[in-house]
Amino acid sequence: MSTDTLFRRITDYANRPDPYPLYAELREHGVARQEDGAFLVGTYDEITALLHDPRVSSDVRNRDDAEELLAGEDPAAPRSFIALDDPEHDRLRRLAMRRFGPPHTPGRIDALRQDITAIAEDLARGLGEKQHIDIVDDFAFPLPVAVICRLLGVPGEDVPQVHEWADAVVAGLDFSPEEEPAERRRTALQARQAMGVYLGELARTRRERPTGDLLSQLANEDGPDGRLTDGELMSTATLLLIAGHETTVNLITNGVLTLGRHPEALQRLCDDPELMPRAVEELLRFEPPVQFLPQRTPLADIEVAGVTVPKGAPLILVLASGNRDPLRFPEPDRFRPDREDNQHLGFGSGVHSCFGAPLARLETQIALTVLLRRLGSWRLLADPPEYRRSPVLRGPRHLPVERGGGVS
Amino acid sequence: MRVVVDLNRCQGYAQCAFLAPRVFELHGEEALLYTPAVPNDQRERVLQAVAACPVQAITAGEQAGAGEL
Repeated sequence: MSTDTLFRRITDYANRPDPYPLYAELREHGVARQEDGAFLVGTYDEITALLHDPRVSSDVRNRDDAEELLAGEDPAAPRSFIALDDPEHDRLRRLAMRRFGPPHTPGRIDALRQDITAIAEDLARGLGEKQHIDIVDDFAFPLPVAVICRLLGVPGEDVPQVHEWADAVVAGLDFSPEEEPAERRRTALQARQAMGVYLGELARTRRERPTGDLLSQLANEDGPDGRLTDGELMSTATLLLIAGHETTVNLITNGVLTLGRHPEALQRLCDDPELMPRAVEELLRFEPPVQFLPQRTPLADIEVAGVTVPKGAPLILVLASGNRDPLRFPEPDRFRPDREDNQHLGFGSGVHSCFGAPLARLETQIALTVLLRRLGSWRLLADPPEYRRSPVLRGPRHLPVERGGGVS
Repeated sequence: MRVVVDLNRCQGYAQCAFLAPRVFELHGEEALLYTPAVPNDQRERVLQAVAACPVQAITAGEQAGAGEL
């Protein structure tokens, strides 16, 4: 088939269970220009170079078709740092990082270990002796949501509403051709705005009565870079809430799915739990929750592997393909929990590399360790499982497993 | 256990400083300080940090750093 339909095929829901052969086809052709003028890149070295190239923008306002893409959006509304370039990106990210991690708050994520473990143990206990379990609904979804809401300071009773908004925002990242993209973008935009308003209100109550959570600190504290404006606070908190919500769910679920498919790896992890941190890195390579970055744009004509990607064209970096590049990883299609030299692209690379990576790692390591210990022997009931629609944030919608039989 | 960081490879992603803040510390935005002799109660955290380093700059083990002055 022609490579100019690759993106259409990758985003086709029918290929959600296994997009990897399409990524192999992409790597064979280097850079693939699509029928709509977008460029796909799927080889490790080229993706890495582009992620470190200051001529590549994360701000879609630099696209030739920006006007159509941003229809309905208020051009003056603050954008979150994931969609901005330096120096604005750097300033906003630094302000958020000040309360999230080193050098100013080095112990914050470490201090969550006990909380995360307690939440995971609670959920695992809640499974009781149930024979049939949905890994997504019963475990992988509630865990990261509880953690990010606790970190930010979102009250428990608001979690269902927050989840509904997050779902709508993620649905906006569904590129499948059969749905009306403008309508989807409008719904996603409304959900993101509603979430921003909600978090803005919450921040205002924190200004009056400060609490120890991240939102309260972002709202109240001043650093050398100044303070976030109300609008910046809304867009930053919305970003953290959505990103902390929808990606770790998939990482944990993909972990259970992958271990269900690889009984020998599962057995090794049960025998040697110290292997878990490396197994999670391999998971981030093998089944990354963010499959590609769809929103980059060259600020100048850039030559990539002999192809000129013109200024203003959509540039799509397929991280999940780079992770399977045989020029970088020996036996890339094998899941090896003890893989050496595993410099994967699961969290991206460069200045935009995942802000929440340390939290996602910790949550997934703890979640899988607790789950494996509590599950006993189990097997997958559906393989492939039913997937969520998004080709970007790819993961199963449900993952039914049955206890008994299989590997313990 | 001992730990060595290849500071030529280190790019300041700070993943180690998140996961094992008592062993790895950021001085300012990018410079990394670390404790080469790992206390026993930090062992698990250091193994997490080794795995998490995006540029694979950390070596840990009983022999790490041996042969260096």
